Amino acid sequence: MKIEHKILYSYFFNVAFIVLIGLFALQNMNQVLEKLRFVEISDDLNASFLEMRISEKNYFLYKDEKWIANIHENINDSMRAIEATKDEISRVIGENNLQLLRSYLDEYSKVIDEIDKSGGKYPRLETELRTVGGKLRDFFKNKTQLERQKVNDIISSAKSLLFISFLCILFLAVVLGRVVSKKIVVSLRAIEGLALSIAEGNFSKIESVNSKDEVGSVILAINRMSEELEDRGEEIIQAKKLASLGILTAGVAHELINPLNNISMITQNSLELYDYMSKEDRLALLNRVNEETKRMEAVVRNLLDFSKSREAKLKEANINDIVRKSVQLMQNTLDLSNIEPNINLERNLPRVRVDEHQIEQVLVNLIVNAAQAMSPGGKLSIETRKGDEDKVYIYVKDTGQGIPPEYLPNIFDPFFSTKSSGTGLGLSVSYGIIKNHKGNIRVESTVRVGTTFTIELPAYGRTKETKNEQ
Amino acid sequence: MVIDDEKIVVDMAKMALEHDGYIVETFLNGESALARLKEETFDIVVTDFKMKGIDGMEVLRTVKEHYPKTKVIMITAFANLDTAVEALRGDVFDFFPKPVKIKELKSAIERALEK
Repeated sequence: MKIEHKILYSYFFNVAFIVLIGLFALQNMNQVLEKLRFVEISDDLNASFLEMRISEKNYFLYKDEKWIANIHENINDSMRAIEATKDEISRVIGENNLQLLRSYLDEYSKVIDEIDKSGGKYPRLETELRTVGGKLRDFFKNKTQLERQKVNDIISSAKSLLFISFLCILFLAVVLGRVVSKKIVVSLRAIEGLALSIAEGNFSKIESVNSKDEVGSVILAINRMSEELEDRGEEIIQAKKLASLGILTAGVAHELINPLNNISMITQNSLELYDYMSKEDRLALLNRVNEETKRMEAVVRNLLDFSKSREAKLKEANINDIVRKSVQLMQNTLDLSNIEPNINLERNLPRVRVDEHQIEQVLVNLIVNAAQAMSPGGKLSIETRKGDEDKVYIYVKDTGQGIPPEYLPNIFDPFFSTKSSGTGLGLSVSYGIIKNHKGNIRVESTVRVGTTFTIELPAYGRTKETKNEQ
Repeated sequence: MVIDDEKIVVDMAKMALEHDGYIVETFLNGESALARLKEETFDIVVTDFKMKGIDGMEVLRTVKEHYPKTKVIMITAFANLDTAVEALRGDVFDFFPKPVKIKELKSAIERALEK
């Protein structure tokens, strides 16, 4: 059932319930009114009857005929009153009781007539009169009392019924509201969770689609969206791969065409002018060809490293050892450029879990860059430091020419190079390696002041999850 | 005049052209070449298209504006239609893709001098 219908039906149910209770209360009130009217009539009759009894007593005391006439008049008034209100009376106390009342009055009237005719001999009649009078008195007393009691009962039962109904309606409203809102909230939470996981690139689904209501159809729609996104996502990744392949190819072509051009120029000249060249010239040119082929080889090798993105062989290691080894590897280059490295390593660094060769490769790249950026005699400082939250930092700082701000956003892009001899792959390979290690590499640079590369790596040891992954 | 940011290219061009008897001056960037053009008149400028700073197109424009009698020959590693069209609009005498064939360059220079 749809939520819309559920709410509508429960609303109708509640309204019908309230209307029923209202009708019932109205009915009760009508009954109460009728009974009160009867009690009023019966009080009037009772009053007139009491008057008869007083006249009766007066007659026996003073033997005056006028009291008998008074009684007759009262009886007639009462009879007329009964006849005028017989419908209302019979509705409350029933036809039988009405007949009984009439017969009592008739009897009383007959006894009075007899007393009137007997002219003084009425000791027996007096007793009879008293009996009939007593019956009438009891009748009125009983009936009024009974009806008053009934009125009380009706009112008190109506009171408790109204109270219970009120509780029922309140309960229904609260329970229905809670059930509906809970269902909606639970589903919304599920949808929220799915949306978040889609945002993170995890195209899962909500499994429990048991309702055929609006929430169910929303979940179905979201599930379908997730599916579609997953399919499209693969297409997008494929397209991106193709695009980067294009960029890669263009970059390779760019990087290879210059050395190729140089070799071509040299060989053309050598073929043409071989006889006119000195031996030294020829050797110099051949050396130059050799250099150019090395340059091309470097491009191709870097490209292979870049495209291979081989699985890192992670081992627990000390960053300081890796830094020392990298500097040692580059010692010759640094000496040639007349650069004295300033190594400042923090003791008791947390250990890291890395592929030593890959991190070495990154550091060597950064050191080569630093050496090339500095005119001979610059200062290269390499520092390690323990950061907050289980992180280890490596700083590679040079006092070189710096990187112009407009180049900074691109320096980690493949084939982006500011050096005529650069392949533009060193930093992008480094970036890929550090990212693979769940780390970060950042650059800060000021033109003519220097450049600082900051490598951030997660410390190993406290986080047990890393162990389980391997 | 030969301009290219690769030293070996200008060296080789100079070697080949000097052997044929031309007087050749080489420059590794547009700035120094344009500075030299203010002092000396050249018959022909051979320039690379893509260079840092002042590039081949700017050299071409400057030459056409201030030294209209000087012919410009462009060489480029990226011989695509856009660069070719751009160069031809700028009234380039000839246009060669890298790697440059020295014979073609020589014949282009000969044709340029005949005119």
